[in-house]
Amino acid sequence: MREVASDQMNDTRSWRNSERCMGILMAGPAMVGILVFVAIPFLAAIGLSFSDLRIGSPLPTRFVGLQQYERVLSDPSFVRALANNTVFAVVVVPVQTTLALAMAVALNRRLAGIAIFRTAFFMPVVFPMALVAVVWQLIYAPGPNGPLNAVVSFCTFDAVAPIDFLHDPIFALPAIILLSVWQGVGFQMVVLLAGLQEIPQVLYESAEMDQAGSWARFLHITLPQLRNPLIFTALVTTILAFRLFDQVQILTRGGPIAATTTIMYEAVQTVFRRQQVGQACAITVLFFLIVLVITYIQRTLIRPEREVEQ
Amino acid sequence: MSAPSRHPRQSPVRAAASKQLKCGMCFVMLLAFGTVSSSCDDRTIDSAESARVSLHVWGHSGRESERLTLQSQVDRFNNSRSGVFVELTLLPEGSYNSQVQAAALAGELPDVLEFDGPFLYNYVWQGHLVPLDNLVSGKTRESLLPSIIRQGTYAGHLWSLGMYDSGLSLFANRRKLLAANARIPSGVEDGWSAEEFCSVLAGLAAIDADGAVLDLKLNYAGEWYTYAFSPAIQSAGGDLIDRTDYRSARGQLDCPAAINAMTYLQNWIRRDRYVDPNLDDNAFVSGRVAISWVGHWEYKRYKEALGDDLLLLPLPDFGRGTRTGQGSWNWGITSRCRNEKLAADFLEFLMKDRQVLEMARANDAVPGTLSAIRLSALHKSGGPLQMYVTQLSEGQAVPRPQSPAYPVITALFQQAFDDIRHGADVRKVLHSMAIEVDQDIEDNRGYPYERGGE
Repeated sequence: MREVASDQMNDTRSWRNSERCMGILMAGPAMVGILVFVAIPFLAAIGLSFSDLRIGSPLPTRFVGLQQYERVLSDPSFVRALANNTVFAVVVVPVQTTLALAMAVALNRRLAGIAIFRTAFFMPVVFPMALVAVVWQLIYAPGPNGPLNAVVSFCTFDAVAPIDFLHDPIFALPAIILLSVWQGVGFQMVVLLAGLQEIPQVLYESAEMDQAGSWARFLHITLPQLRNPLIFTALVTTILAFRLFDQVQILTRGGPIAATTTIMYEAVQTVFRRQQVGQACAITVLFFLIVLVITYIQRTLIRPEREVEQ
Repeated sequence: MSAPSRHPRQSPVRAAASKQLKCGMCFVMLLAFGTVSSSCDDRTIDSAESARVSLHVWGHSGRESERLTLQSQVDRFNNSRSGVFVELTLLPEGSYNSQVQAAALAGELPDVLEFDGPFLYNYVWQGHLVPLDNLVSGKTRESLLPSIIRQGTYAGHLWSLGMYDSGLSLFANRRKLLAANARIPSGVEDGWSAEEFCSVLAGLAAIDADGAVLDLKLNYAGEWYTYAFSPAIQSAGGDLIDRTDYRSARGQLDCPAAINAMTYLQNWIRRDRYVDPNLDDNAFVSGRVAISWVGHWEYKRYKEALGDDLLLLPLPDFGRGTRTGQGSWNWGITSRCRNEKLAADFLEFLMKDRQVLEMARANDAVPGTLSAIRLSALHKSGGPLQMYVTQLSEGQAVPRPQSPAYPVITALFQQAFDDIRHGADVRKVLHSMAIEVDQDIEDNRGYPYERGGE
């Protein structure tokens, strides 16, 4: 008896051990990837942000303490970049989330050919941003023949003169925002669509019996049930908003007069144009801290509900 | 990290941190240079073959005619020498400097390197090039166009040879100028002053459908801004940097004359709306504008479109006489080269009249030697592009700042011009750029230049 019992125990232990081993083995490649591609470079960036390392300089690299941080924080372009990123996030997160929700609700029905619509709305997410940017560059073309200008003048009966969207300090950032929302909204839509399909149908049926209207059903069933996916999409969109770079690099190069510069754009400029690796590292470390703080605030303000009743 | 730690227990931590740091750096570099090094793997195999001496050459992949010409010249060189093999690798132009920097860090530079002229001083400072003083014959050096010697000289040595140089000026439509009753300058000496240029533009705009009569090639951006528009500052009496010691930009870049010159340009673009955005690059050939501020590379296309109505005129004079840009791709020998004699032989071969003329025909640039210029129908005395030669030999052409800080200066100027073009306050833009240039020079301890034991 005792032997059998200990055998069994051994069995479970070795089984557990092997499960643990398998777990580590399975997670291994990803962990190595994170370590090599994220953790180590980031630690290196922290170290380098205290140095004056420059690309190709034959001079020895020196430790400069917090000088790079001082410079970055007193640089008007960095402050402007931070402001632009903030405006971008403040506009894009609510607009894109609302739009995605509306699209998800509209597409969450059994209809012949609904898959085609879903695919169509999801398509921009699949396109590379470089391609999207080039297409929108054509849409934003200045002069009366630019597609967007033509639409605007048609709708306003020629009251509005053609605008050079990407070279106008007022319109450049909104132009970037518009194309970013168009490109990104499909992703959130899919997440919310998945969330919608998780909502038990019985809730709607019982609401119908209580004679709740469609608006009331949306407000009291759909929205609360979608809480977690909504928080997730808002969080991800905020982080992506601070990572804004591709469309700026391709369409406006941060201009006109810093109207569309972003933190990422400034970091890339600093290292590849001004050859200041140390300073660029300081920017990325600050960027990390900013994203960390924003994520933390969002998480504490709106905690996702965890399912604890099991 | 700076103060030496007195706590013995901290040192292993620091050591580990620095090790980690190094690992990270190594990895980043590995990633960056993977592509470059893979293309150079064959070099060791080649050097093992003692029968054949090989020379690795990197050039930029320009237009197709240029590429074909260079390749055929390399083939000709290989056929004319026994036991010698020049292997040509062409790199894309857009990221050329980054690729050179990456290769240099990885110790994988070729023997002979082509590079854009104004980057020379940075490469010399970084120790990537060897001086050509004792490698190239006096005859070759004497035949060079003065602008190419000026471009290739740094710290008292000659570092590069150019098969061609560039020409920058105005192309104008004679018929439109006559219609606007504009005076037509006859050459470099009697070009329009900036003031007169304004009234010419006004006259042209008065008879133009949309009033946009000037093409500044704003569609190019990038290095074009520095190449094309810093001569305006120099013509006014300012400069991108104080060239007496290359230590400071303040007082030169933000002096009233420089501000004045850039204000002219800003007004033409913003206030007067004289400048066509030229998104299709056809503003001049389609007849939308009367004047195009552009380099030699447009000559053929413009000539085809306008025929005898095409005029070549100097850039406007902003106060101290007209100034223009210069500089193009140059050849140098790297400090990694193990056969400098052969490399020099190859460069001398490229600088012979036949090769120089072939290349000038392929890319329409100004031939790099005086003897080739005399043989070039376009550039010889009385030729339609003779003015380019005059500008390059008589001092109107100004090399971009001959300083290792140039890559930074041009990056900052491109940004500054972008801001000016969009209506920012010229004085503020130039002043803050000057401060940034000075900051960079200070960060690099004045770019001290010492040549090691080579």
